[in-house]
Amino acid sequence: MNPGQLTFDQVVEGAELPTLTKRPSQVQLFRYSAVTWNAHRIHYDAEYARYEGYPDVLVQAHLHGAFLVEMLMAWMGPQGRLLRFAWQNRAAAVPGDELTCGGRVTRAYCDAERGYVECSLEEKNQRGEVCAPGSALVSLPLKGAPG
Amino acid sequence: MAQQGTTGQRDYFAEARSFIGHRDEQRLGCVTEVALQRYAVAVGDLNPLYFDDQAARAAGYPGIIAPPNFLSAVLGWQAGPPEGELRPDGTTAADVAFIALPGARLMGGGQELEIVRPVRPGDEVTLERRLADVEKREGKSGTLTLLKIEKRYRNQHDELLLICRETLIAR
Repeated sequence: MNPGQLTFDQVVEGAELPTLTKRPSQVQLFRYSAVTWNAHRIHYDAEYARYEGYPDVLVQAHLHGAFLVEMLMAWMGPQGRLLRFAWQNRAAAVPGDELTCGGRVTRAYCDAERGYVECSLEEKNQRGEVCAPGSALVSLPLKGAPG
Repeated sequence: MAQQGTTGQRDYFAEARSFIGHRDEQRLGCVTEVALQRYAVAVGDLNPLYFDDQAARAAGYPGIIAPPNFLSAVLGWQAGPPEGELRPDGTTAADVAFIALPGARLMGGGQELEIVRPVRPGDEVTLERRLADVEKREGKSGTLTLLKIEKRYRNQHDELLLICRETLIAR
């Protein structure tokens, strides 16, 4: 097993997940709209976004989710498996915001094959406001290979 | 998320409830390596599982996989309408054509994903959508109608890949 791979025996209920900070740019929002075939103007037309009452173009709902997934996949390591993932969009974010994804282990249990870890998740902006709360269930290898 | 500059509030609750149980199915086509990798690059997530067959095999996959939320994040799979047929805000009514709520503005309220199988290049994906329920919530700016949509993604072997339970806010 990859020596850096997270295993179930290393997980403690209540522990914080390592955070990931993202700084979405206008270019990132443009490319994310393009690859998801999302022509909604609030994501690339700043004048239109202001007409709708927003300070600037908005980070896509799915991109908030994608940042949380990126954080989870990095934490779990390649042999972890994301089984369930949920998030809600609570506050808007714009280019230049600093979005920090983190979470906490809420429950850990195992069977003979794998360990299972439930987490609560949060993506917060630089003012500490929660943009996207969420939750996940992941599975992990039980233990590192001996030696 | 609050919005301004909208037209008068309308209550879509009763109208939407008449569509509970309605479903449709569409072929999304073939997942390509470049599509899933462009998605990962746009997110800024360069996880080797999405780019490096060898790394993916070492992790127990047959080869590279798509980011787990790739299928449900892509809004349009077909060519889509020409520009002149988009609504003034750039969105298209075709996104939820199986629920006819003319004039309704739909906003994503979050998703719940059940990831059943990894999505791989070469997968031919079919999407089945169903309006599972409709709820009402009193918001600051009037009544919001919540559409609970269940989406099931399957591959060409009729294997379930992903279940996505999505809430759309109609206003």
